[in-house]
Amino acid sequence: MAYAYLFKYIIIGDTGVGKSCLLLQFTDKRFQPVHDLTIGVEFGARMITIDGKQIKLQIWDTAGQEAFRSITRSYYRGAAGALLVYDITRRDTFNHLTTWLEDARQHSNSNMVIMLIGNKSDLESRREVKKEEGEAFAREHGLVFMETSAKTAANVEEAFINTAKEIYEKIQEGVFDINNEANGIKIGPQHSTAGGASGAGGAGAGGAAGGGCC
Amino acid sequence: MLSRFSDVLQTAADVLAPPATRLEDFEYHWKMILNFYQNYDENSKLHVEETRIPHHLHQMLQLIVDEEKEQQGGTVGPCMEAIVQRSICLLDALCALAAAERPPGARALALTTGTALLRRTRQPCVNSAHVYRPLQRMLIQCNESPASPTEKEEVELLLTLCGLVRKEPGLANIFTTPFVEDKSTLLSIPEDIQKLIPIRSKIQTPKKNPLFEVELPPNPLRNVSIIRTGKDDGCNATSSSSADDNASCKSHKTVYDDNDKFLLIDLLLSYLNSADNQVVLRACEGIMIVSSLPEDDIANLVTSCSPACETIVDKLAAKYKCVPANVVASDVEHLNITWAYVAQDFGDKSYSKFHGYKELTSFFSWLDYCDTLMKECHPTIAAHLSRTFRQNFLEGVAEHGVADLHHAVIVTAILAKCLKVVDSPDLINEFSNWLVGDGEVSEWPLLHTLINNCLTDNYELTLETLRFFETPSYKLASGRRDGEVSEWPLLHTLINNCLTDNYELTLETLRFFETPSYKLASGRRDGEVSEWPLLHTLINNCLTDNYELTLETLRFFETIIEKGTEHSIHRVVLARVTSRGYFAPQPLTDDDERDRLNDLSLGREREYNREAMKQLQHEDHVNEQITDILSHEGLDPKQHDEGSENIHRVINSFLLLLPRAILSDPVGADYEHYIHDAHRRYQYWLDATSTFHWPSDYNWVDTTASSTHSYDSRPEADIHLDDAFEPLKPDHIAKHDPKHFSQKLVLRSRDLTSQTSETEEFDEGPFFKMIFKLLLNMPNQPYQVNLHLTSIISQLALLPHPNLHEYLLNPMLPTAKKTPTLFKTLQEVARRLTMEIPRLRNFKKIIENTRLWLMSEDPTYDENADHNQLVESLIVLEEFCKELAAVAFVKYQHTLHMQR
Repeated sequence: MAYAYLFKYIIIGDTGVGKSCLLLQFTDKRFQPVHDLTIGVEFGARMITIDGKQIKLQIWDTAGQEAFRSITRSYYRGAAGALLVYDITRRDTFNHLTTWLEDARQHSNSNMVIMLIGNKSDLESRREVKKEEGEAFAREHGLVFMETSAKTAANVEEAFINTAKEIYEKIQEGVFDINNEANGIKIGPQHSTAGGASGAGGAGAGGAAGGGCC
Repeated sequence: MLSRFSDVLQTAADVLAPPATRLEDFEYHWKMILNFYQNYDENSKLHVEETRIPHHLHQMLQLIVDEEKEQQGGTVGPCMEAIVQRSICLLDALCALAAAERPPGARALALTTGTALLRRTRQPCVNSAHVYRPLQRMLIQCNESPASPTEKEEVELLLTLCGLVRKEPGLANIFTTPFVEDKSTLLSIPEDIQKLIPIRSKIQTPKKNPLFEVELPPNPLRNVSIIRTGKDDGCNATSSSSADDNASCKSHKTVYDDNDKFLLIDLLLSYLNSADNQVVLRACEGIMIVSSLPEDDIANLVTSCSPACETIVDKLAAKYKCVPANVVASDVEHLNITWAYVAQDFGDKSYSKFHGYKELTSFFSWLDYCDTLMKECHPTIAAHLSRTFRQNFLEGVAEHGVADLHHAVIVTAILAKCLKVVDSPDLINEFSNWLVGDGEVSEWPLLHTLINNCLTDNYELTLETLRFFETPSYKLASGRRDGEVSEWPLLHTLINNCLTDNYELTLETLRFFETPSYKLASGRRDGEVSEWPLLHTLINNCLTDNYELTLETLRFFETIIEKGTEHSIHRVVLARVTSRGYFAPQPLTDDDERDRLNDLSLGREREYNREAMKQLQHEDHVNEQITDILSHEGLDPKQHDEGSENIHRVINSFLLLLPRAILSDPVGADYEHYIHDAHRRYQYWLDATSTFHWPSDYNWVDTTASSTHSYDSRPEADIHLDDAFEPLKPDHIAKHDPKHFSQKLVLRSRDLTSQTSETEEFDEGPFFKMIFKLLLNMPNQPYQVNLHLTSIISQLALLPHPNLHEYLLNPMLPTAKKTPTLFKTLQEVARRLTMEIPRLRNFKKIIENTRLWLMSEDPTYDENADHNQLVESLIVLEEFCKELAAVAFVKYQHTLHMQR
C-alpha cells in the first residue's frame, strides 16, 4: 500500500510493563492477557493518516529484560520515535526510566522523538506512581507524556499517533533529514515511482546523474 | 433463586464425582493425542489445524502455565513433574511430530508449542535431560533439511533457548560436548515413542555416512547443572523430586579438543544462509545473545569450538564480492544502514534506489552487524572476530582491489565508508593496523631511525647498523631477552627490552643506542624508509592522473585520520616529524617582514602604485581585525608580550598570503565562523587524543612563533643527555612517571637530529610528500580534490602534537632550504596564482562569479562546463588560509587558558 512517509518506532521499558500488549492493541486492536515473553525484538506495522497523508508506522517491540539489552541497543540507531513505557502499578519500572533514557539518548540519533507512557491506567486501585510524577519526569526531560491502558485501549491510538505527529512536524520544520536512513524515516514509494515509471532504463540514468558531481 | 439451586446441584455433584484435577486433565489431553496417532491414517491429507491436536496441545500448555502460577518457592507442579519424569513424554512426542510432519503442518505446530512452553513458563526445567534431550533432537532433525518451510519456527525455538542460556549461563552446557549425543542418535526417535506415535518419520537415517560421524562417549541421562563456577544458588533450577535429577554434572572445561562442539552456535550459524531475512535476523540475534555472555568459558567455546567468527567474516567477504564493480562511488558515501532494520526494509520490493543498492545495503548491514557484535560481545570473541576480519576480509579479499587500478576507485570508496562507519575499538584497531602496519616499530624515534637504517637498500648502512647491534652491550641485554621473535630477532629483542616495564633494562638498552656507532649510522642515513606496501599503494593512488581515484583515496585518508589510533596516526603522519629533523637554523636575512610574506614587489615601488596602496590598506585592515579578535580574548596587543605578538605574526602570514588584488572576499567577514568551527574540532581532537602518549608541551604555540628572535624555538630542548639519564638512578626511574621519562628521551632525540640537520635534508616521508605534491598542483586539480586535500591538512593542523603543530603552523620555522613545509608550499601556489590569474581577461568578475557559485552549493554548477578551475583553486586557497589562521589562533587561545 502506498504511503507518503514511513516512520520507524521502538518500544522500550522494563519487562512486564505491557510493551507487547500496547503494540498488539495498536496493530490488531485486541488485548491478550497471557503473552509470550519477548525475546529479542518483535515487529508490527500499521497505517495511519496525518494531515491527509498516509503514514506507515513500523514498530519494533523490544525485550525489556536486561539479558537482551545487547540486541535492543541495535534498534535505537535508525529509529525516528521511541515509546518509553513504565507500569503505573510498579514503582521500580518508573525508577528505571532514567537508565532507559540515558541508554536511548546515547545510542539513538539526537532528533528521536520520545514519548513517555504510563501503562495499565485501568488498574487505578493498584496505582503506585501518580500521574503528576509522570508529567514531572516528562517535563524535566523534554518528553511527551500520556497514560494508557493496553487492556481498555484508552489512549493507545493517541500515543502512537501523537508521536507520529511530532515526527511529522519535525520533518516540516526541516529538523529531520529525510534522505538519511539513519533517522528512521523513509519517503514513500509514490514519490519515487513518479520518476521510476519510465521503466528499467530509469535506474541506470538515475545512477549516472547521482554520480556526476565530480 | 434458580442460580442458588444450580449451585446446590453443583456441590452435590462435586461430592459424588469431584472435578478432575489438573494432572488428570493433563493426562486426558495426552491420551487424546496418543489415540489420534494410534488410529492415524497415513494417507490422510487432513492438515493438522483441522484436527483436535492443536487444541489438546494448547490445553496441556495452559495447564502447565496455570499450575505454575499457584506453585510457591520454586517447586514444580504435577504436570511439569510428569514431563520432567517422562511419565508423560510430551516433548518426545513433539519431537516425533516434528520429524514425521504428520498430519501436514505438525512440524510447525510442534516447534511453536515447544517455543511457547519455554517462553510462557518461568521454570521450563530445561536442565532436565527429559526436557533438553528432545529439544536437541527436534532442532537437529529440523536442521537436517535446509530451507525448510518451518525455518522461522525453528529459529524462534533456537532464539528462545539462547534467551534462556543468557539468563542461566550454565544451560550452555546442554549444547556442549558431553551433553550432546552423537548425531545419529539425535536423528532417531526413541523406540518407546515410536510405539506411542506409530508414524514413520521422514528422517530416519542421517544423510551423512554415520561411519564418519564423530563418536562421542555415551553419557548417562542426567541433569545439567546450571551452576558453572561452584556457586551454590542453583536450588531454583534443580527442584524436581526425581532421584537422578539431583545428580548434577558440572562442567569446567578449559581445554578443548577438535571434537568439542558448541551445538547452539553451530545451529544458529546454519540459519545465516537462509533466503528469509527474518530468519537470518533471528539467527544474528541469537549469536549476539550467546556471544555477549560474560562467562569466559562460553566465549572460549565460541572461538575455539565453533567456526562462528570465520563464518561471519566469510559472509561479509561474500557480500563484498557481490557488489557490482560499476557501482558509483558517490552513492556509497550516502548509505546509512542499521543491520537490525534491513530485514524489514528488504521486504519492500520497490526498495532499490540505484544500481548496486541492494548489494551495497546487504554488505554494509552485515558490516554493521559485525561491528555491533564486536561492541557487545565478550572481549575474547571481539579480539578473535576482529583478527579474523582483518585476515579473511581486509587482507584476504579487499587488499587486492586497492592496487588493482581498474577497481581501485570503488574499492577505496567502500573501504573508506567501512572505516567511517565502524565504531568498535577492536575493529578500528585492526583496520588501522592493516592500513599502516603492525606495531613492531616502536614509538621511540631513535629506534625508529635505527630500524629504518637496517631496512634501506643501502647494504653498507644495514651492515653497519646490524654490526652495531652486535656490540657487547647488546649481548648483555639479550641475556635478559623475554620478548617475541620477529624477522629480526636481534633488533626485536632490543626493542622489547626498551619497552619492558623494567626501567633499568630500558635505560641500559637506550644508553646502548646512544653509542657512537649509532651516530655513525644516523649520519649516513639517506635511504627510503621501507613502507607498509598497502599504505604505499594508497599514497600512490592519490598521485595517479585519475582524479576520481585521487578523490576517493583522499576521502579514505580523511577517514583514516578521523578514526586514527595512536599507532596509525604515528605511522602515517608523525613518524618523520617526531624527530624534528625539519628544524634547521638559518642565518638571518635582512628581508622586511612584509616582503617575505608578500612577494608582489618591493615596498618602495608600491608607494607609487594605486593597487599597492590598497594592499597596504588591506594589510592594515587585516591587522586591525586580528587585534580586534585578540583583544576580544582578553589579550591586549599593546602590551607587546611575545606570545600575542607571535600569534599575530602567524595569523598575519596566513591571511596575507594572497595579495588583495585577487582575493574574492577581501573583507574576511566569515573569520568568526572559522574560529568557531576550529574551536569545536580542536576540542574533539583534544578528547580523542587524550589517551595518546603524545608529548604535551604547553609552551609550544608560544615559542613556535618566536623564531625570528631565537632560532631555537624550544629552550627545553637544551636539556642534556646527562639530564635525561643521570639524575634518575634506575631505582628512581621505576617510581618515576614513565611519561616524563619518555618525553625527555624524545627531546634528546630532537637534539641529536638537529645537530646533523644542517648537512642533510629532511625527508618528510611519503605521506607528506604526497600531500605537498597535490597542494602544489592545486591550480590544475578539480575543486573537489582540492577541497578534500585542504580538509585533510586542516585536520592535521588541529592535532595537538607539538612537532606536527610546529611543522604545519609555524610560517617562520627555520628549515633547511630544500625542506618542504606547508607554508613554503602554500607560498609557491600563491605565487603561481598571483602570476596567472591577473592574465585572465576580466579576472575580477570571474573571481566574483566563481565565488558566488561555489558558495551557493548549486548542484548544477558541476555540470556547468565553463567554470574556471584556476579561480576555483584560488578561492579554496583563500578560504584555507583563513581556516589555518583560525586553527593557529584557537590552539594559541587554548594554551593561554591552560596557563591561566
